[in-house]
Amino acid sequence: MSACAWICLVLPLASAAAITIGGTSLSRRTAGYISTITTFGSFVAAIAAFAVMLGESPGDRPHTTTSWTWLEAGRYHFGLTLLTDQLSVMMMLIVAGVGGLIVAYSLGYMDGEDEERRYFAYMSLFVFSMLLLVQSGNLLLLLAGWGMVGLSSYLLIGFHHDRPSAVAAAKKAFVMNAFGDATLALALFLLIQHTGRLDYAGVFASSPHGGAVANLIALGLLGGAVAKSAQIPLHTWLPDAMEGPTPVSALIHAATMVTAGVYLIARTHVLFENAWFVADLAAALGAATLLMAGLIALVQVDIKRVIAYSTMSQIGYMFVGAAAGAYPNGMFHLMTHAFFKALLFLAAGIAIHALTGEQDIRKMRGLGRTMPRTRLAFLVGSLALVGIPPFAGFFSKDSILAAVLDRGAFGAVLFACGIVGAFLTGVYTFRLFFTVFGETGDVNPHLHGDREGPPSMVWTVGVLAVLSVVGGFLQFAPVWTPLTTWLEPVARPFAEASSWQEALASAAAVAVGAAGIAIAYALYVARTIPVPRTLPVLQHKFYWDEAYDLLFYRPADLVARYLNRFFEQPVIVGSIGEVTQGFRVGAGEVSRVQNGLVRSYALALAAGVAVLAVVFLVSR
Amino acid sequence: MHGPDVGWYLVLAALLFVTGALGVLVRRSPLIILLSVEIMLNGANLALIAFARRLGHEDGQVFAIAVMAIAASEVVVGLGLIVAMGRRHVELDVDKLRTLRG
Repeated sequence: MSACAWICLVLPLASAAAITIGGTSLSRRTAGYISTITTFGSFVAAIAAFAVMLGESPGDRPHTTTSWTWLEAGRYHFGLTLLTDQLSVMMMLIVAGVGGLIVAYSLGYMDGEDEERRYFAYMSLFVFSMLLLVQSGNLLLLLAGWGMVGLSSYLLIGFHHDRPSAVAAAKKAFVMNAFGDATLALALFLLIQHTGRLDYAGVFASSPHGGAVANLIALGLLGGAVAKSAQIPLHTWLPDAMEGPTPVSALIHAATMVTAGVYLIARTHVLFENAWFVADLAAALGAATLLMAGLIALVQVDIKRVIAYSTMSQIGYMFVGAAAGAYPNGMFHLMTHAFFKALLFLAAGIAIHALTGEQDIRKMRGLGRTMPRTRLAFLVGSLALVGIPPFAGFFSKDSILAAVLDRGAFGAVLFACGIVGAFLTGVYTFRLFFTVFGETGDVNPHLHGDREGPPSMVWTVGVLAVLSVVGGFLQFAPVWTPLTTWLEPVARPFAEASSWQEALASAAAVAVGAAGIAIAYALYVARTIPVPRTLPVLQHKFYWDEAYDLLFYRPADLVARYLNRFFEQPVIVGSIGEVTQGFRVGAGEVSRVQNGLVRSYALALAAGVAVLAVVFLVSR
Repeated sequence: MHGPDVGWYLVLAALLFVTGALGVLVRRSPLIILLSVEIMLNGANLALIAFARRLGHEDGQVFAIAVMAIAASEVVVGLGLIVAMGRRHVELDVDKLRTLRG
């Protein structure tokens, strides 16, 4: 068991190291194959761990394995500990499985790209970091994985380092994530202070219930989760992160990394249950994000940005579910979302690839006829995203909406937000689908050839499409609930829907989703309603970037300018100039002594000896 | 003990040394400077031998022989340099060799 966990974790790291050390002696192809095979190797190890667990009784399923004491400070010992339990094995399967598919897809997508090796080394590093995050047995190791995930995301967003916008986006993502890392670290400090431990069981057993400390701890954790999962108010980095290559967007900014916040809430749910206020705040932030992101997605024209905003919106649902106490539902949606969102990104990637990098949907129209398979895949992903039965999103999203109905008045507000969000999802998703893949219009003139990409791109998309269709049948509450049962020992939900709530939520969500699709059809295909004017507030994404610019960047810039003018220039630069000038003049004077005349050196020597002789004679 | 007092030898040694030193300082021809250095070395040798005689053992004489050996090798190097300068038609004047001034 512990062998499976270690193999799963170490394989991607070994791949990153091998590609880095191998350097140019590896061909570009080989680097891609190494990365693909090791990621699938991790997936196989995760399956093995899962299979072993299936044969055990629920109480015996969590396994911890410690390689050595990682950090030792006084009476605190933090081991390099891996925890393999029901929750982490689920995440391992998602990360390694979807990750493997996306890395395999990259083989085709990145073909011919400069610096392919660097790309695959980063991809492997990312998979390793993410696995470290989900497999860690204590919060300190989780923080290490958390930071490394941020780092590899930075490296991959800025992969096209010759493009200034990509570099700026990478910096933005890193800074926002670092903010979350900092609040997470502060929460860890408080936990050490009040419990003296960081392993999950120990922390859960002795962390304070209620009160300021419990709330501060939960707030710190929430800060980390919000930054990593791109929720209000730390969400602005995610749309910009679409500067990275499309498979990166699929892997990091849809399927795995951005869901880390949901995983954190589910993992440390005890700490959130100890702080009701913060848990409700998390749910409220999720609800606000899902509405706002849905509205912004209506007007975006970059295909990847639309999908990015829909990701934010869907993670909002997961936040609502996890923070409202429906942990298995949140995790379920995390899983199905990983399938269909990766599918959407990769299908969009095929279109972008065929148009040699064009991402503006106004120039992408009319791809449906030439790319029937991609169109079908995108349609499957869109239907799953909107939550039309029997596609995956229907089961998972509706189960979250149903569960929040169990939470009284607050739950009703969340439910209302979720329903409005589902309507928006229908509109913006099918706006995208009808515009890009609609039958109308001529064949796109920018298309080069009519190929849908190399086999590695086609079959991975196919697998994800199948998963997006069948993935939802894993759980259909309240008829069968294997996932809830599976996760119960780790995260027992306290918000569970009854049958009528399930029925109500499903009916409402499907109805508004279908209404959204109908409106998108009327707007963009039948054109029975004119497309309304774009509101400036949506165009500017609710002015978050402008507000941050005004609140943080401008004041800091002003202070820096003043310091530069009144301190740096006169004091620092001035004094350095004086010192160098002094040395230059002094050295010029001294160097005159060395005049090159051997006789004068000899005279100095003789005079020195004479002086020394006199000194010795006198001092005797 | 026969002959003059050791003090006279030392006076003569000092005179030789100073003569040599003056030669090094005031002359410009490298050949003469080399000769002057030899005179200085011989002054030092004379002092060594005089002390050896005064103290009654041979260490000073051994030193003097070592100094002669070193003087011989120094002359080889020095004359070699002077010959090289002559071959390159460099003027034999040390004051003109000022490339290393600061």
